[in-house]
Amino acid sequence: MLPFDVKFKPGAPAYEQVVYAVKKAVITGALKPGDPFPSVRALSQELRINPNTVQKAVATLCEESLLRVRPGIGTVVAELGPASRADKAALLRDEVERLVVEARKLHLDSADIIEAVREHWARLASDQPAYDERYRVK
Amino acid sequence: MMNAIASSDLRRRYGRTAAVDGLNLSVPLGSIYAFLGPNGAGKTTTIKMLLNLLRPTSGSSEVLGTPSQRLGPAEFTRIGYVSENQQMPEWMTLRQLIAFCRPLYPTWNDPLCHKLVSSFELPLDIPLRHLSRGMRMKAALLVALAYRPKLLVMDEPFTGLDALVRDEVISGMLEVTEQEQWTVFISSHDIDEVERLADWVGILDGGHMYLSESAAALQARFRRMEAVTVDPARLPARPPKSWLAPDVTPHRFTVVETEYVGGASEQRVADAIAGAEQIAAAEMTLREIFLALARTFRIRP
Repeated sequence: MLPFDVKFKPGAPAYEQVVYAVKKAVITGALKPGDPFPSVRALSQELRINPNTVQKAVATLCEESLLRVRPGIGTVVAELGPASRADKAALLRDEVERLVVEARKLHLDSADIIEAVREHWARLASDQPAYDERYRVK
Repeated sequence: MMNAIASSDLRRRYGRTAAVDGLNLSVPLGSIYAFLGPNGAGKTTTIKMLLNLLRPTSGSSEVLGTPSQRLGPAEFTRIGYVSENQQMPEWMTLRQLIAFCRPLYPTWNDPLCHKLVSSFELPLDIPLRHLSRGMRMKAALLVALAYRPKLLVMDEPFTGLDALVRDEVISGMLEVTEQEQWTVFISSHDIDEVERLADWVGILDGGHMYLSESAAALQARFRRMEAVTVDPARLPARPPKSWLAPDVTPHRFTVVETEYVGGASEQRVADAIAGAEQIAAAEMTLREIFLALARTFRIRP
């Protein structure tokens, strides 16, 4: 079993979806600094995707300092360095742009997005299941 | 040697029908190559000629540097072949089949063999004829993988397998990927089966290659372009040559751009479609690219 979950959706490249899943696992704490990261072969077998795709995802994650190669041990989840707030924000620039573009396509305004972001933030922070309270069976 | 498989003007006729009609194929070493095409496109005929199981009417091919027609027992120790209609000694048990195959291959790897027996959950002592189709396919793959071939050729390996067995077959196949320059050539009529597996894609139609390209190159040049139009959109009389399937609904324009260049392609939409706004380009999966091509050129997917 993998320490994180990838549900492939059509559209985005597979390697980006793997990168995203790992980032999410690191942020939510499912992967912790020092945790061993699965080998390229294990990952490609488990996800049944091309090993080169996995290699590309791992290379990207290493470049972004989320993973680190430790000689003789393998790939591990990195300690997140004391990056500046600006550095961290820069990591999200593309995602924010995409979100804004999508929102405009749907004719939503910025208040709608901010509200949706707040909701998601709270959900992850409180580790609540990802469904809306309104749909809970009483 | 850069290619694991190469063919030049390969042809095979059956009477007046050309099953394979001047095929030029290059499969790079180290790739997982999806050989796609509808049933009857000539995939099996091609594979049989490549592996010297069928003589071509004309043309030539090479596999791992050896001309196909000179492939013999020595070369087949480096090639694994699994087909939809695999011939196997049905009266043997898997244990007997393994004992039979093992001495034929100098590179036979016992630990890998044992690992595959257990991950495929195959019974060792039941005659193969009593096994299900999926189990027989896994048994065939097992004896083709256990000697770590340099090239694995699979002809429609997933036909008739349920999703669970298909996943097992793919995982088993990927077991061997540790090897450097390991090449897999899979034929399939269904892009879904190989979409995230392949890094090279060839589409065979009417006996010749319609397209053969790396997945990365294909995905770099294909984009689904969308725009919103204030007034009802109208298509230009002569749309750009790189456009596939341009389409308008009253306030929306979509097209598949086959030669995407960031900026220039968006400009091309703006120039061709009056009043186009919010022009966006989205990356496409191999499946979406295949379907767009199939629809336009009537390749039956």
